[in-house]
Amino acid sequence: MGKGGMSREDGEEENMAAWLVGLNTLKIQPFTLPPLGPHEVRVRMKAVGICGSDVHYLKTLRCAHFVVKEPMVIGHECAGIIEEVGSDVKTLVPGDRVALEPGISCWRCDYCKEGRYNLCPDMKFFATPPVHGSLANQVVHPADLCFKLPDNVSLEEGAMCEPLSVGVHACRRANVGPETNVLVMGAGPIGLVTMLAARAFGAPRIVIVDVDDHRLSVAKDLGADDIIKVSTDMKDIPEEVALIQKAMATAIDVSFDCAGFNKTMSTALDATRSGGKVCLVGMGHNEMTVPLTPAAAREVDVIGIFRYKNTWPLCLEFLRSGKIDVKPLITHRFGFSQKEVEDAFETSARGGNAIKVMFNL
Amino acid sequence: MEKGAKADEEEETNMAAWLLGVKNLKIQPYHLPPLGPHDVKVRVKALGICGSDVHHFKTMRCANFIVKKPMVIGHECAGIIEEVGTEVKSLVVGDPVALEPGISCGRCRHCKDGRYNLCPGMKFFGSPPTNGSLANKVVHPAHLCYKLPENVSLEEGAMCEPLSVGVHACRRANINPETSILIIGSGPIGLVTLLAARAFGAPRIVITDVDEHRLSIAKMLGADEAVQVSTDVQLVDEEVARIQNAMGCDINVSFDCVGYDRTMTTALNATRAGGKVCLIGLALSQMTVPLTPAAAREIDVIGIFRYRNTYPLCIEFLRTGKIDVKPLITHRFGFSQEEIEQAFETSARGGTAIKVMFNL
Repeated sequence: MGKGGMSREDGEEENMAAWLVGLNTLKIQPFTLPPLGPHEVRVRMKAVGICGSDVHYLKTLRCAHFVVKEPMVIGHECAGIIEEVGSDVKTLVPGDRVALEPGISCWRCDYCKEGRYNLCPDMKFFATPPVHGSLANQVVHPADLCFKLPDNVSLEEGAMCEPLSVGVHACRRANVGPETNVLVMGAGPIGLVTMLAARAFGAPRIVIVDVDDHRLSVAKDLGADDIIKVSTDMKDIPEEVALIQKAMATAIDVSFDCAGFNKTMSTALDATRSGGKVCLVGMGHNEMTVPLTPAAAREVDVIGIFRYKNTWPLCLEFLRSGKIDVKPLITHRFGFSQKEVEDAFETSARGGNAIKVMFNL
Repeated sequence: MEKGAKADEEEETNMAAWLLGVKNLKIQPYHLPPLGPHDVKVRVKALGICGSDVHHFKTMRCANFIVKKPMVIGHECAGIIEEVGTEVKSLVVGDPVALEPGISCGRCRHCKDGRYNLCPGMKFFGSPPTNGSLANKVVHPAHLCYKLPENVSLEEGAMCEPLSVGVHACRRANINPETSILIIGSGPIGLVTLLAARAFGAPRIVITDVDEHRLSIAKMLGADEAVQVSTDVQLVDEEVARIQNAMGCDINVSFDCVGYDRTMTTALNATRAGGKVCLIGLALSQMTVPLTPAAAREIDVIGIFRYRNTYPLCIEFLRTGKIDVKPLITHRFGFSQEEIEQAFETSARGGTAIKVMFNL
């Protein structure tokens, strides 16, 4: 299968996509697009990143309560070039480079009307079953969810707006500002975008922890004030909390648990100052056993995070101005062929040195 | 020992209820410090027993607070001003006042931020090592003594303390005319939270408990629906369904006034996406709860520790009748050795006892 679309006999390009057809089985196959609605655009995909949730679907055909019951196109972190615009689209023209916000909400329910559209029960989100994703030659998408890239922001950076949005949304909900000293648990892709976002929001001091030396060194390169290696052993918590607090040297106002395990959450709850916040970003386990009461008795609040809302304009501005540089997070690149799709997911699943694996189409 | 102080030469010997050991309370002399310029001396007239007092009584500790030496017990109190310090302008002898128990340092960042309830140097009546106020008289800063309006009794003044917990929780959870709420636990704290939530305008309130009698009190105090639940962890899902059914609409805020895995799990599962769960009941250290699914619905868990700046509002609620705490006072005792023992036993027993009040 070659890179890009296949030409059909009638001269029209056949749209191809990476379909999740079974456990650990991805196949590049045709993907018929719906007709273009008046408020929609057709986008030629150019950059698509792989997310932990994409890998989880590949390996298990499920993620939390979402279950893949029939073949589904994978991928959701994407950017591309407008090919065609619907009749009522005024803000975009063919040739525009855009980053895509994956989720289409209903705009009728209370959540949508309140502005918390990320909580819409009818959300149709790229590659969350049963909605098809965007690892394809082209997709059709609402124009209002396509954000034009500034000239100095690349398509790959556009695709990075999606994971970066998680960090931005978390910083907003936790009210990170020039007075918030921040602890980040986990230096994987989400921990790193959270750290970058926190700095962009003005956090004066950021300490990040992980079990992995390499990830910590990446975090240091990306601007962490201090890095601490931690273990997976619950018994080490008191000692690690002491080390973390010492490294911060001042009270920890906000902690982001970007891993979502008992140990990381317990550490965060104990390390955060009275009246502070712990943001649970990572989704590790369903049931968690944590010292919730002592934290509540110090008025440490636990803030929940689900995806993001209204973050693309801010992400693009951060990238345009250079306040955030996401390029170092892109560690591996692959093209859009059967073999490369398989290699890419294997690389992403392996973790290790791989932070963000990016497709270039 | 007879009730009250003994006349000794010309000065009354101030007596107090001292916690000397596990389940060992003795009325003994309590020597008061000299009156500072900003202090007042208060003759204590009404004092309620709190669950934490009972806990200290039974175990000599409460969370991180350990009773290492004899300590006067009690903190929910009101009384009459007997003497004012030289700089005190706002109060005069004879004024009836409700006392806010905790003296914060006024210098740390929490105090300066206005979150003085979190002050690490807090000196709180009946939290070791600070002596409490179940005594004939205490000395206290004037700015922590709030004058009671004419139509608010001293017992109601003492009730401002537990009521403050409910008021503080409603503030932190942002209760308003659009927040439908669930209250888990219909004990004294659940009930003051119910009263406070109504005063803050909550349109619909469902309350749960394992005990039918307590639920009937809640219903009488204005809960829209009372749902009886069990302690069986297998039944949580079914109970969440019943609770949501009883509410009839989304639950915006849940108050866990008990603080067990089960009650917190119920709260996290029953609350709508984007809502809040307020953890008020401080029962366990470690909790096992479905935190992740709740966080993935952007439910926030709000912590509550005591209260701050609540006395004026409580007093106003009582003055206008927006809140009536009187039904919560179920048992009354005088200040004698035998009666204090009975009072603590009654409070510890729970059951039909909601607030046990001393009249001195």
